[in-house]
Amino acid sequence: MRFLPHTDSDRQAMLESIGVAAIRDLFADIPAEFHIEQGSLALGDALSEAAIMRKFTRAADKNRNATNTRYFLGGGTYHHFVPAVVDYIISRGEFLTAYTPYQPEISQGTLQALFEFQTMIARLTGMDVSNASMYEAATATAEAALMARRVTRKSRVVMAGSVNPRYRAVTANYLSRLDGDYVEVDMGCFGTDLDRVIGAIDASTACVIVQYPDFYGSVYDLAPLRAACDAAKCLMVVAFSDISAFALIESPGALGADIAVGSGQSLGIPMGFGGPHLGLFTCKQQYMRQMPGRVCGLTTDAGGKRGFVLTLSTREQHIRREKATSNICSNQGLMCTAAVTYMALMGDEGLNTVARHSAAALQSLVARLPAHVRAAQGARYNETVLSFADSAARDRFLAAAKERALFAGIPLEQIDAAAEPRHLLIATTEMVEADDINDYLDLLEVAK
Amino acid sequence: MSISDTTFKYSGTVGMQHEEPVLFEHAHEAPESINLPGVDGDISPELSAFARKTPASIPGLSEPEAVRHFVRLSQWNHGIETGFYPLGSCTMKYNPRVNEQVVRLPGLAHIHPDQPEETTQGVLELMYELQGWLGEISGLPYVTLQPAAGAHGELVGLMMIRAALDARGQQHRRKVLVPDSAHGTNPASATLCGMHTVELKSGADGRIDLEELKRHLDDETAALMMTNPNTAGAFESDIKEICRLVHEAGALVYGDGANLNALVGVARPGDMGIDCLHINVHKTFSTPHGGGGPGGGPVAVNEALAPYLPVPRIEKHGDTYSLVHSCETSVGPVLGAPGQIGVLLRASAYIAAFGRQHLHRIAEDAVLNANYVLNRLKGRYHVPFDGLCKHECLLTDEWQEKHGVKTIDIAKRLIDLGFHPMTVYFPLIVHGAMLIEPTETESRETLDAFCDAMIDIADACEAGDTAMLHDAPLKPFRRRLDETQAARKPVLVWPK
Repeated sequence: MRFLPHTDSDRQAMLESIGVAAIRDLFADIPAEFHIEQGSLALGDALSEAAIMRKFTRAADKNRNATNTRYFLGGGTYHHFVPAVVDYIISRGEFLTAYTPYQPEISQGTLQALFEFQTMIARLTGMDVSNASMYEAATATAEAALMARRVTRKSRVVMAGSVNPRYRAVTANYLSRLDGDYVEVDMGCFGTDLDRVIGAIDASTACVIVQYPDFYGSVYDLAPLRAACDAAKCLMVVAFSDISAFALIESPGALGADIAVGSGQSLGIPMGFGGPHLGLFTCKQQYMRQMPGRVCGLTTDAGGKRGFVLTLSTREQHIRREKATSNICSNQGLMCTAAVTYMALMGDEGLNTVARHSAAALQSLVARLPAHVRAAQGARYNETVLSFADSAARDRFLAAAKERALFAGIPLEQIDAAAEPRHLLIATTEMVEADDINDYLDLLEVAK
Repeated sequence: MSISDTTFKYSGTVGMQHEEPVLFEHAHEAPESINLPGVDGDISPELSAFARKTPASIPGLSEPEAVRHFVRLSQWNHGIETGFYPLGSCTMKYNPRVNEQVVRLPGLAHIHPDQPEETTQGVLELMYELQGWLGEISGLPYVTLQPAAGAHGELVGLMMIRAALDARGQQHRRKVLVPDSAHGTNPASATLCGMHTVELKSGADGRIDLEELKRHLDDETAALMMTNPNTAGAFESDIKEICRLVHEAGALVYGDGANLNALVGVARPGDMGIDCLHINVHKTFSTPHGGGGPGGGPVAVNEALAPYLPVPRIEKHGDTYSLVHSCETSVGPVLGAPGQIGVLLRASAYIAAFGRQHLHRIAEDAVLNANYVLNRLKGRYHVPFDGLCKHECLLTDEWQEKHGVKTIDIAKRLIDLGFHPMTVYFPLIVHGAMLIEPTETESRETLDAFCDAMIDIADACEAGDTAMLHDAPLKPFRRRLDETQAARKPVLVWPK
C-alpha cells in the first residue's frame, strides 16, 4: 500500500519495542465481538493510481460540464473565469496540506493570506470587518440571523421571500429549534417589495434579511429599509450570492447593512457541483465580537515584528463550549486563499470588467427576447427570470438548447418549490460570449 | 505599534528566509488588467442608476508579482508535505496527490448543482457509492453527505436524534450528556440544536464512569455524545454497557467520529450500539485541511434514524441517480448544496485506493505508530492514563513543570527542532495536556526523530537548560506572537 511507509520488518521491530506480539494485540481493549474480519467489508477492490484515474474519469465523462457546454445557470453557483494561477497557488502543499494556523510562528503564510482576504472582502462588500469565512452562503445566512439575535437580544427574524429559497430554508431550519418567531414575507413578484418587508417589522424584530441583488437578480434601493431598521432598532442583514456584483453596483456596506453575508464562489472557485464554495461573513465594527467563525488579526511578536494570529477566540467553542457564539470550528481556508489570489490578480479593474461583462451579457439577451418570452422587469445585475406561456413551451426550449450544448436556465420550481413551472432562472457571466447569446435567441425562436 | 513593518529593507530571500509585504503595501499603480472574455457591451440604464460610487480599492498585481507574493507566503507555512504534524485529534495524514487530479477532472469540477440530472449521473453515482462505503465502514448504513464539517455533522446528527424523540412524543427530552473530555464543539452543537448539556466527569482512567453516567440518565435525556476512542486516546471498553444503559433510559448515543482513524476497517461504531456518527473525511479519509478547511462531516445513522436524514438525499432508482428534495420526516436542508463535493470525491478516492483488502491497515499502522511513540516517551513524560492507546497518546507536563517548563514551552521548542507541535492543553481533563497523533503515513524514521526531539527537551529540562525553552521558538522568522494584544484591540483589516 503506497501510502504506508512501514515495511513488515519495521512493524515487527516496533511491536517488539512496545512489547506485544502482533498488531491485533494493540486492539485487545476492543471487545472481541466487535472485531471484524479482515477484507469482509463490502467495499470495492483496492485500486492502483491508474485505476483510480480510470474510475473517476469514466464517471466524470458522464457529466456534461462547462468545457463542452454553455452555462446560463446561476441561483447561487456561477461559472466565472478562474485564472490558472489560482489553482496553482491552492495546489501548493504549504497551503493545501496545512492545518488551522493555531501555531502562528509556522503558519504566517495562511494567516497573512487570511488577513489580506478579510481586508479585500470588507472592501468589496463595503463593510468594516470580515471573518475568515464560513462554510457557504446558506449557513452563513443562518449564522447572521443568530448573530442578530445575540446583538439585539431580540428573537424575531424577518426574511424577505426574494432571498434564495435555499438560504431561507436553511435559516428557517436552524431557527426552528430555538425560541423566537421566524417570518417569511411573500413578495408576489420576481423582485423585492420593500413595503411588504418593512410592514413585517415590529418591536420584537432582531433583524430583517434581504438579498441584494435578490434571488431573481433584482437590484433595488435599500435606503427605505435602513430607515425602517433604525426606527425599529433591528439589524439590517444583506445576503448576496454573486459577490462580483459589488465591483459594479453599490455595496451592501454603503447602503447601510449591519451584517452582509453570502457566497464568494465567484472569486476563483469552480462550480464543483455545489461545493466546496466559500461562505462570507462581514459586519460593522461595533458587532465584531459577536461574529461567528474564525478571525485573523494583526499583532507583534516577542521581537516587535509584525505578525498575524487567529484572534477573538474567547467567542469560540474550545473555550466557551456550550456558550460559544457558534459551533463552527473550521473555515473554508483554502477557498479563502483561492479568493484572495483571484482578487489580487483582478484588482479593481479586472473585477469591474467581470461585473460589466456579466451584466452586459444579460442586457444583450434580454433586450432582444422574442415576444413569446417575458423577462422580469426592473434593474437586474446578471440574473433574471424568463416566463413562458406554459411549462411545455419552456421545457421544449430547454431540451432544444441542451441538444445544442447550452444549459439555458434553471426551472424556477427546481429551487423555489412555490413557483409555477413555466419560469426559468437565468444567469450570465463573462464566460458567455456574444455567439452564445445569438444561439440562445435562435433557439428561443426555433423551439417556439 | 505601527501597522507598517520597517524591519525589511530589501525584498529578496536571504538564507531561505524572506519578508513579504502585506499585499496593500505593494504600492504601485495597478498594472494592465487581466484579459477577460465575454460581452463588452452596455449595461442597462436601470442598473447604471445603482452604480458603485467609489471603487473597492482592491489592488491588482501583475501575474508574476501575484505568483511571487503568494508563493512566498506559502513558504511561511508548515504543511503535511513539508513536515511531521503530530496534532492529536486532528489526524494530519498525507494527502495523496492523485486525489487532487481527480477533483480537477472537468466533468467533476465544472458542473453546476442545478444542471439537468441526466447530465450529472456520473457525480451522483460516485456520491451514492460513497454513501454506501461510509455506511459499511461505520456499520450505520444510512448516510448523508451534506454536512460541511465535523461540527456541522454534530448539529445534523442531533437534529435527527431530536426529531426521532419528538416523533415518539418525547419533546421533553432535551438534555445531552457530554463527557468533560469531549471536543468543545459537542456542547456548542447541542446548544445550537435547542438542547442543553450536562457534563459527565470522567473516571480516574479518563474513560466514561458508568456510575456517573447512570446518575445523569433520566427521562429528560435525549442523547449521550461520546468520542470513541476518547480524546485521551483510550478506547471506551465499556462501550456495550454504555450504549445499553443509554438505550434503556430511552435516549440515543451520538458518536463523534473525530477519532475514527483508530477503528477504520477494524471495528464499526454501529456494531457497538452507536446510533449516529459523524465522520470527519478531512481526518480519516485524508482530504487536505487547506489551512482550516474545507472539511466534510457526513453523518451515518441506523435504520431508526434514517427517516430523519436531511434533504436533498442522493437516491438510486433503477439505473438512475437523483437528488431527492422532499421528504416529510426529514430534518430538512442543512446546507445550500448537496455537500462539499470536491472534498467528498477525495475521500472516495482514498477509500478506493485501500479498498476492502487494505482499509484496516490504516487503523493498524495508526495505532502501532501511536503506541510506539507512547512507549518511547513514557519514561520521560508523565502518562496520565496507563495502558494501550489507540491512534493517539496523551502526555502531560507534570514532570517538566517541576523545572518550570510548561506544555506551551515544549510545543514551541519542537518548532525549533523542526516539528509542528502536538495538540496542547486538550483534553481539558488533565493539566498541561500534550496529545500526540502520528497517523499511519509517518515512517519509523520520522517517529524516531520526533521522539528524540521530545527526549532532548526532557533532558534540557532536567539539566536546567530551560531559558531556550521559554524563549522558543527562536528559529522561525517570527517569535511568539502576542495574542492578548491582538484580542484587546483587534485589527482585522488593513486600513485604507
